[in-house]
Amino acid sequence: MTTGTMSRTTATIVTRVRERARSAPRAVALRHKDFGIWQEVTWGAYWTQVELVAHALLALGVEPGDRVAVHSENRPEWLYADLGTVAARGITVGLYPTNPPAEVAYLLADSGAKLLVAEDQEQVDKALSVLGDCPDLRRIVYLEPRGIRGRYDDDVLMSWPELLALGAAHRAEHPGAVERRMAEAEPDDVMTLIYTSGTTGPPKGVMLTVANVEFAVRTLVEGGGFTAPPPSERDLALSYLPLCHVAERAFTVWFNAAAGVQVNFAESIDTVPANLREVQPTILFGVPRIWEKVLAQVDIRVESASPVKRALTRLWLRVADRIGDTLVRTGGRHTLGTRAAYAMGWVLCYRALRERIGMRRVRYAASGAAPIAPDVLKFYMGIGVPMHEVYGMSENTAVATANRPGRVRLGTVGEPHPGIELKIDDATGEILTRHPGNFAGYWRNPRATADVLDEDGWLHTGDVGEWVEGTHVRITDRMKDIIITAGGKNIAPSEIENALKASPYVKEAVVVGDQRPYLVALIGIEPDTVGEWARRRGLPYTTYRDLSEKPQVRELVQEIVNGVNERFASVEQVKRFAFLPKELDHEDGELTATQKVKRSAVAKLFEDLVEGMYAR
Amino acid sequence: MTRAAPHIPAGRSRRVRGRPLLYTSYTQDMALLDTPAKKTGTAVLVLLAFALAVLLQDRSLEVLAGAYALAIGAIGLNLVTGYAGQVSLGHAFFVAIGAYTAAALSGPPGGDTLGYGLAELWIWLPAAGLAAAAAGVLVAPLATRLRGLYLAVVTLGLVFLGEHVFKEWDELTGGPGVGREAAVPQLLGVRLDQDGPLGTKEQLLYTLMLTLLIVFAVAARNLARSRVGRAFAAIRDRDIAAAVIGVPLTRYKVLAFGISSFYAGCAGGLLYTISGYVEPGSFNLLLSVQFIAMVLIGGVATVSGSIAGALFISLLQPVTRSLPALVPFISADTTKTPNVFQVETVLYGLLIVLFLIFEPRGLYGLWIRVRNYWKAWPFSY
Repeated sequence: MTTGTMSRTTATIVTRVRERARSAPRAVALRHKDFGIWQEVTWGAYWTQVELVAHALLALGVEPGDRVAVHSENRPEWLYADLGTVAARGITVGLYPTNPPAEVAYLLADSGAKLLVAEDQEQVDKALSVLGDCPDLRRIVYLEPRGIRGRYDDDVLMSWPELLALGAAHRAEHPGAVERRMAEAEPDDVMTLIYTSGTTGPPKGVMLTVANVEFAVRTLVEGGGFTAPPPSERDLALSYLPLCHVAERAFTVWFNAAAGVQVNFAESIDTVPANLREVQPTILFGVPRIWEKVLAQVDIRVESASPVKRALTRLWLRVADRIGDTLVRTGGRHTLGTRAAYAMGWVLCYRALRERIGMRRVRYAASGAAPIAPDVLKFYMGIGVPMHEVYGMSENTAVATANRPGRVRLGTVGEPHPGIELKIDDATGEILTRHPGNFAGYWRNPRATADVLDEDGWLHTGDVGEWVEGTHVRITDRMKDIIITAGGKNIAPSEIENALKASPYVKEAVVVGDQRPYLVALIGIEPDTVGEWARRRGLPYTTYRDLSEKPQVRELVQEIVNGVNERFASVEQVKRFAFLPKELDHEDGELTATQKVKRSAVAKLFEDLVEGMYAR
Repeated sequence: MTRAAPHIPAGRSRRVRGRPLLYTSYTQDMALLDTPAKKTGTAVLVLLAFALAVLLQDRSLEVLAGAYALAIGAIGLNLVTGYAGQVSLGHAFFVAIGAYTAAALSGPPGGDTLGYGLAELWIWLPAAGLAAAAAGVLVAPLATRLRGLYLAVVTLGLVFLGEHVFKEWDELTGGPGVGREAAVPQLLGVRLDQDGPLGTKEQLLYTLMLTLLIVFAVAARNLARSRVGRAFAAIRDRDIAAAVIGVPLTRYKVLAFGISSFYAGCAGGLLYTISGYVEPGSFNLLLSVQFIAMVLIGGVATVSGSIAGALFISLLQPVTRSLPALVPFISADTTKTPNVFQVETVLYGLLIVLFLIFEPRGLYGLWIRVRNYWKAWPFSY
C-alpha cells in the first residue's frame, strides 16, 4: 500500500488538526484550568505547539518508527507530544500516571522509547531510578519544573520550554521539514502503542496503525457510531480518564481532531465532580467506577439533605426509576406518559440534580471499558441522561458494538457498528471481530499476536457473549474468568460482582469458586458511603479495616448479598463473604492501571481469607 | 541549553454559553454581575425602582427618597466599620458637616445664616463630601492608635463635640430650635425641590436620590473588591497580620475614614433637601445609632445589606406611626406612655439584639440563606 504521488498525503489525526488550524484558527480546541481559570487553546495555537514538538523531535533525531513515551496526567502537553510524535512518524506510548517504577521500567524497556515526556518530579524520579534498565532512553522532557529545575543536573533532562525552543530553532533552519515528514506518512505506519492493562501477565503493546485509527475515526466519530447526531464543534467533553487507554484516547484526541469537540482537561481525578459542574459537557464517557461513584454521591447527599428536600428528592427519584423502567422497555424512546412525568420532575428535581452532578447538558453519555450493573445505567436514563453502554478494545481500536440512541437494550453492549464483521464462535461463545480497525499485532510479540489474530483476520476478543434478539450483543464475561464449580457448573462471576457493586456501599467484589463446592466473595466496602452511614448511626470507627470489621457493617453488607442472591440461581449464589482488610491499590499490584481487579493476584494475596470461608 | 520558549499567542477568552461556572478569564471571574441571572435580576430591580417614581404616591416617594439618602450614609459607615473593621459611633458628626457645608454653599447670600448662593448640585454635593472627608482624615490618626472599644468611645466623643458646636454656631446653623433652610437641589438650572414640568417635587427628588444611590453603591462595591477593599478586610480580620503582609495600616485606616466620611457628608447634604430644613439638634447620638442599626440589621460588610438596612429602618417609622390606629394602648401623643416614639426606640434596640443573636449577617444573611437553600436544591450542601 503506497500513496504513489506526492500530492496525495495520508490523512492522519495530525493533518486533521492542521486543517482545523487553517479553517478556524481562533476557535477553541482545548481548555485547561490554571489558577482557577479555564485557559483556552485555539486551533491555531494547538497546531503551532504540535508543529514545534515535531520539529524538536526531528532535531533530536527521532526517525520514523521511533517510540516517544508520555507519562503524565491529562493535559494539553499530552496531546502536543502525541500529535507531534505522529507528525514526525514516531510511535506514541502512553504510561499510566499511577504506574510504579517497576512497571515504568518494563514499559520503557519493552517499547524501547527514545524520549520520555514526564509530567513532574514524581514521574521524572521514577524514570531516573530505572534509567539503567532502559538503554534506548536518551531524553526525559519534564513539564512541571518544580522540584527539578536547579536541583537535578542530569544531562538527559530537558524542560518543555527548552524542547519548544529547540523546535523553533529547527523550524527556522529547516522550514517545512515537518510538513515533508508528514507527507511521507503511510497508512501502515504504527502511530501508537496502547499497552493492555495486564490482568494476567505483563502488559502487551497493541500496535495501532494510521489506517486503524482512521477507520475508527470514520466509524465512531464521523459516522456517528456513538452519538446521534454526530459530534461537532459545539460539543464539549471533559477529559479525565488516562489517555493511555484507547477509550479516553478516542473520546479526547480523536473526537477533538476529527469533529472539533472542545476538550476540557480536568485538574485531576479528585476534582472531576467540581470540573463536571463547571464544564457541563455535552458528551461524557465514563468507566463503571465513575458512574457508580456519582450515583453513590447522590445517595449520600440525598440522605443528608434537610427533611423536605430529602422527601421530595426521594419521591422524584422513585419516579425516575419508573421512567427508567419504561425507557429500558422502549430502548430509550420516551412515551407520552414518561415525557409528562419527566417534564414535571425536570422542573422540581432533575434539572437541578443534573446541574449539580454536571450532567445538565449531556446529550450523550457512554459507559465502557468494563462491565456495569444495569441498575446504575437505569438510574441515569431515568433522570434524563441518555446513557449508552458501548464495547470495544484496544485490539480492534475500540470498534465493536454500541447501543445506539433510541435502540438501547439494557444489559447488552449494543449492536455491531455498521460496516464491520462481528460473529460469536459457535463452539466457545467467544466474540470475534473483523474490520480494518483490527490491530497490526502486539509489539515485539508475534506469538501473542498469533493467539488472538487468526489467519482469516478474525480478532479473538477473549469475551464470551451471546446474541439478544438477534441484533444486540450481551457479554457474559471474560473467557478466562469463567468459574467452573466443583459441581461442573459454568458461572460468570462479573455479573454477580456487578450486581453487588451496584450498591453504593460496595466498592469491590471478587467472586471466587473455581473448582469449589460453592461461591464465596471478597468484598471491599466504599469508605465514603459506609463511613457516612456509620456516622449517621453514631457508630465510631478509626480506620478502613476497623470500619469493615464492625458487626453492623457486616449486617449491612449481608443484606446486600442476600438481595443479590435472590436474583440468581442457587449455584450462582454467594454463600459466604469476607471483607478485604485494605483498599485495593495499583501500587500494591492488586489493581491494574485501569483500576481493574487482578483476580488471580487478589485471590492469592488473600488466600487465607478464601480458605477460611471454605473451612467453616 | 537555556533557550527561551517561543511565544505562542493566546486566543481571546469568551464566555461559554450555558456554563455560568466556566470562567475563561479573570475579568469574567471578577465581574460584579457574573451570571445571566444576576444581570437580569439587577436590571429588573433597577427598572422597578425607577418605575416606582410614577407608580407610588408622593408621600411614599418621600419616605423612599429619604431611605436612599440614608442608604448612602449607611454604605459609608459600612465601609469603615464593616469592611475595614473600625468601629465608628461618630457618623452623625460627619453627616452634620456635610449637611451644613451643602446648606451654607447653596443658601441665599445675605440671609440670617451663612450662604454663598451656589445652588448647583454638582458644586455643593462634592464639596459636602470633601468637607466631611477632611474631617474624617483629621480624626483617622486616632484610629491608628486605638482599637475596638476605645475607638468607639473616642468617636462617640465627636458626636457630643459636634452637637455642642452646631448648637452654639448660630450663624451657620440658626441655633437650636430655630434651624436653617437646607441645601437647594438645583441641577443645570432646574430646581428639584419644586413641582415642575418633569414631575412633582417628590418624583424629582426620588429619581435624584435613586440615581445617586446607584452611583455610590456601585463605587463602594468596586472599592470593596479592589486592592483597597482587600487591604480593608485584612485590617479588619487582624491588623497586626495585615501589617506583617505589607498593608500600610495608617494609610488604609485614614483612607477608610476619609471615604466613609465622604459618603456621610454626601448623605447629609442630600438628606435634608427633602424636608428643606436642618435643625442642629438632629445630629445626636440617636442618628449614629440609627446608622449602626442599619449596618447591623442590613448586613455587615455588604453594600446591598446597607441599602436593605436603610430601607428597613426608614420604613419602620411609617409602620410604627400607624400603630395607634391598630393597637389601642399605644398612643401617638408624646406625653403619654407608651407612645409610638418609645416603641420605636425599643424596636431599634430589640431588632439589633435579635439580629446579633440569631442572624449576625443581617438581612443580607437571611437572603443568602434563602438563596443557598434553592441553589443547593435538591441537596442541602
